[in-house]
Amino acid sequence: MNSIVFEHVDKTYDKKVFVIKDLNLAIKKGERIILLGPSGCGKSTTLRMIAGLETISAGNLFMGDKLVNNIPSGEREVAMVFQNYALFPHMSVEDNISYGLKIQKMPKDEIANRLKEALRILELEGLEKRKPRELSGGQRQRVALARAVVKRSDYFLLDEPLSNLDAQLRAHARKQLVKIHETFHQTLVYVTHDQVEAMTVGNRIALMNKGDIQMIDTPKKVYNRPVNVFTAKFIGSPPMNIINIEYADGQIIIGEHRITPPEMWKRLMYKNGKDRFIMGIRPEHVKLIINKEDDAVPCSIRYIEDYGNDIGMYFSMAGEEMIAVCDSNAPINNQEVYFHPDYKNIHLFDADTENSIGYPQEID
Amino acid sequence: MWKGVYTMKIKLNGRQWGWHIFLCLLVMFLLAPILYAISTSFKTLSDATNNVLSLIPEKFSVESYKSVLMRIPFIKITTNTFFIASSVTLFKIITSVLAAYSLVYFRFRGRNALYFILISTMFIPFTVTMIPNYLTIGKLGLLNSSWGVILPQLADALGIFLLRQSMRTIPRSLIEVCQLDNIGHLRIIKDIVVPLIKPSIISTGIIFFINSWNEYVWPVLILKTEEHFTLSLALQMFINAEGGTDVTVAMAISVMTMILPLALYIIFQRFIINTFTQSGIKG
Repeated sequence: MNSIVFEHVDKTYDKKVFVIKDLNLAIKKGERIILLGPSGCGKSTTLRMIAGLETISAGNLFMGDKLVNNIPSGEREVAMVFQNYALFPHMSVEDNISYGLKIQKMPKDEIANRLKEALRILELEGLEKRKPRELSGGQRQRVALARAVVKRSDYFLLDEPLSNLDAQLRAHARKQLVKIHETFHQTLVYVTHDQVEAMTVGNRIALMNKGDIQMIDTPKKVYNRPVNVFTAKFIGSPPMNIINIEYADGQIIIGEHRITPPEMWKRLMYKNGKDRFIMGIRPEHVKLIINKEDDAVPCSIRYIEDYGNDIGMYFSMAGEEMIAVCDSNAPINNQEVYFHPDYKNIHLFDADTENSIGYPQEID
Repeated sequence: MWKGVYTMKIKLNGRQWGWHIFLCLLVMFLLAPILYAISTSFKTLSDATNNVLSLIPEKFSVESYKSVLMRIPFIKITTNTFFIASSVTLFKIITSVLAAYSLVYFRFRGRNALYFILISTMFIPFTVTMIPNYLTIGKLGLLNSSWGVILPQLADALGIFLLRQSMRTIPRSLIEVCQLDNIGHLRIIKDIVVPLIKPSIISTGIIFFINSWNEYVWPVLILKTEEHFTLSLALQMFINAEGGTDVTVAMAISVMTMILPLALYIIFQRFIINTFTQSGIKG
């Protein structure tokens, strides 16, 4: 069942530049959906439209089957966590959390119960009387979460809630967030530019660019079956290697070298009817071999980065810089190595539209 | 920690010495008339006329103060002044907070134009509005009453300007959080905005209060009889042609007039300086 539906939604401030252009998005009830994308892609605007903090220039927005285009934010029953936490500096932790409930004239003991529960879940017990300035960044973030949790809203909106935390706290906060969602099962919409957060928190990811949704699917699908070059490059770190290739006489031409792909890919490329493609290979799928083989392209190692558990090898192939991630025992003395594509783990995109040409049945 | 600050030897370089000397002179220049007024008010008339420049009275006398209290209903006049000044301050603060809030947080067509028009009213000289206002107050039958003085001063562009500046330092998300909780604007103003910009409100209020306390031209047009007078009008009675030539009495009422604003300023001076140097809170 869908809980938030965007139908042909536009957002523009001056009727010339569109922040959001013809957005269609259906968010299911109780799911954790991530709006992911580079800065300025319109993901925060999308979230703020759900909250009612931004108006909709055109199209329709439904929440729980109700058209909400003109419903003010206060009547949409959403809880939101802001990037800067938006805590009231002059109020104590408990006042910050319960302020909204008090104004809505909720019975005192109900407020006390919810407050207590939120403090427990978010490990804030003992800090009730502190002011926000007396808290650490992580504690402030949890107070902001607690304030959203006590509302028990059906919709839980988060605008880059973890971006001001350090890496360790972030990992902990991610788990906490998932735990909260599994307790209350709200529809959770989460905006981030961090793909690790997106992959770990989301049931589904909506990847946005320039006000439009590029792909919406499970984290696994988005990672393994990117629908276009943008998606392929945006997800994954280090990013996917992208190289222009040609296809002629049943052979792939990389620079001056020809290699023969298996039948399954040939069929797809033939079906596509074009002769220029973009090949994508994730760094962890790049296989470099020392001995020359028939179906391998020579390349030379340029630079090596040590990540501790892995190493990153920058090499150039047909004039393009590429990167391979391999375990640190890999032989790295050789300057000359050969690239042999692992055909189960390559991605092919149309060179003109940059859209995926699909995947052979055999590996799909 | 503080001890260190007190015992620290401060070394001034040439440039700083220059500034200090300049500032000392400035302070003397500003303080001299006040000290002169205080000292003269405690002199006898002959002392005041014979030793014009001496700051210490020959004989300490409170005769001049007694004479002020005898000649005018001082308590009544102070009450009038206080009523007018505090009403004007209160109304101006209320209207300024409301106007500033809507200018900062409401999006509407012509918002900037409206703000510009409001601000430009600061540059209209009082003399331009004096006559129309006088006629209006006359038509309303409010001549010779405190309300006649108060009514044209319910709003002030300066207050809107200052409070708008400090409201802009409040992160917008604080207001948005309240909107999501369906909290009304008046409630947001009362619970969130006002507490956060309290220093600015206090200092703006002090400015309004002192200005109104010292106001002369407008009250002199409106107020006709002694029992409605304000302090600055009473002061005038002692220094005009028919008021008498006793300079000690004139100085006594001057001192009595400035005590309250001076006290307010001293109590709240940290807010005032705060408002003009950094304008409000940090998010």
